[in-house]
Amino acid sequence: MTGTMCGDVTEPAELVPGLVERVNGRGPYALVGSRCPDCGATVFPSVVRCPYCQGQPLRQGVGAAGSLYTYTVVRTRAPFGLPEPYAVGYVDLDGSGLRVFGLIDPAMADELTVGQRVEVGLMRLGVDGQGRPCLRPVFRSEHPTASEVGR
Amino acid sequence: MSGEVYIAGIGSTAFGRQPDVSLLELAAEAGRRALADAGIKPADVGIGFFANALAGKLFGDLTIGQNVFAALGMSRLPIANVENACTSGSTAFYLACLAVRAGEVDCAMVIGAEKMCVPQLGLLSSGDSELDTLLGLVTPASFAMRARRHMAEFGTTVEQLAQVSVKNRSHGVLNALAQFRSEVSLGEVLASPMIADPLTRFQSCPIADGASALIVCSESMARRLGARITVRAATLSTGNYDNPQDMVRWRTDREGVEKAYEIAGVGPADLDVIECHDAFTIAEILHYEALGLCPVGEGGRLVAEGVTALGGSKPVNVSGGLLARGHPVGATGVEQIVELTRQLRGNAGARQVHGARLGLAHCMGGDRAADTKSMTVAVLAA
Ligand SMILES: [Zn+2]
Repeated sequence: MTGTMCGDVTEPAELVPGLVERVNGRGPYALVGSRCPDCGATVFPSVVRCPYCQGQPLRQGVGAAGSLYTYTVVRTRAPFGLPEPYAVGYVDLDGSGLRVFGLIDPAMADELTVGQRVEVGLMRLGVDGQGRPCLRPVFRSEHPTASEVGR
Repeated sequence: MSGEVYIAGIGSTAFGRQPDVSLLELAAEAGRRALADAGIKPADVGIGFFANALAGKLFGDLTIGQNVFAALGMSRLPIANVENACTSGSTAFYLACLAVRAGEVDCAMVIGAEKMCVPQLGLLSSGDSELDTLLGLVTPASFAMRARRHMAEFGTTVEQLAQVSVKNRSHGVLNALAQFRSEVSLGEVLASPMIADPLTRFQSCPIADGASALIVCSESMARRLGARITVRAATLSTGNYDNPQDMVRWRTDREGVEKAYEIAGVGPADLDVIECHDAFTIAEILHYEALGLCPVGEGGRLVAEGVTALGGSKPVNVSGGLLARGHPVGATGVEQIVELTRQLRGNAGARQVHGARLGLAHCMGGDRAADTKSMTVAVLAA
């Protein structure tokens, strides 16, 4: 299957609830990690205890956009019902400076370059461990594509 | 500092698709060959380590080492099963060296084996429940992203990447135990199906069934047996997982190598023969740079100039490496050390590196947060 933008009435569940949140409830999507008030460490994904000092971290947005550090387009048999091919990459997030792995909007697979700007989104993409369609966080072009504009 | 550790015996099966041979039979055959090579009896072995990565997942089998050693008539000694992804075998070797160096035993045996050419293998990842896996991080993708970044930062070309496969396949022609024994051209490597851009199928190591075994022993036992290959360093490192990770200046790789160089009292200029973890072509190029065979960013040029080919000044993976010999995960880390032992004994036949006195084996396993989970280095001397 190919990914389609979420937003229809039959919207499936998020693969990992809480991984992505809208800034202030309705702004752009941001990845959510943890910040430790004791040692200041910021990590993604979120953790129950700080890996550096075992302090109790708070949920914290770690970035809504960034630049592509590297990428690849995977052309093997795709796991979890992901599209074939599918694109993945590491993104340097604005603000936190974390370098985070994630899926890239499959529509961008043929036009990726190191350094390009991307933003965090949530797409209906693949299935979960039980085979149910689900929403996965993705990196997508910072400006809406034509298909999104028409939605 | 306690006593020196020696390699007393080596044994391997052929690597490749072996549908009619069980994991236990593969492992036991490698073990029999190592015992015979050392000229010792099972009762001479004080502790056994069995390395395997996938049987739990593929067959639901656990604590297989006891079955393997029992098949060799070894049932009362301490036995431990070791899983550390692609470094399972070299981690077992590390533990065996610890046991001998500590004076706990005079002789330790390591057997690494894998049977993975089975329909249920599926895609290899770093863990089915990890977030990165759920987001599509399969093993080739992890190395493809390093390759893409290396190309963007240093101008490394797809031809330089492909040259690693051309070189290692040409070495595999000379290794009777290797899975692939035919040459490939640069054009064939580049024209093979794309796995994860920019890595093609012929730049990815093949899965294989196979087993390798080692006997390590103390100085006094080595003198008795006439064994003369010494272990100058055997190290095990773990990733740091700091964020951000520089994916082309691999800190864990470099630090792991430096630790081994320091223990052995050697540097890259001293090495005569190297086996490294070329699961994908880019991995070998990154390891050149971590090993200090060339400055960071120049690994592509090094292979293109022939420096790391048999006959070059720093031959790497003259066994064929993972790319030609095949990669039975639990056996690989053991087989690298077996190959160095053959080279340092001067028994490597058509692929012998002439006058080899010092060898290094480098292995990596697992993937976490853009870092490796496990890394081993062994330095052996004649
Ligand atoms: Zn902390």
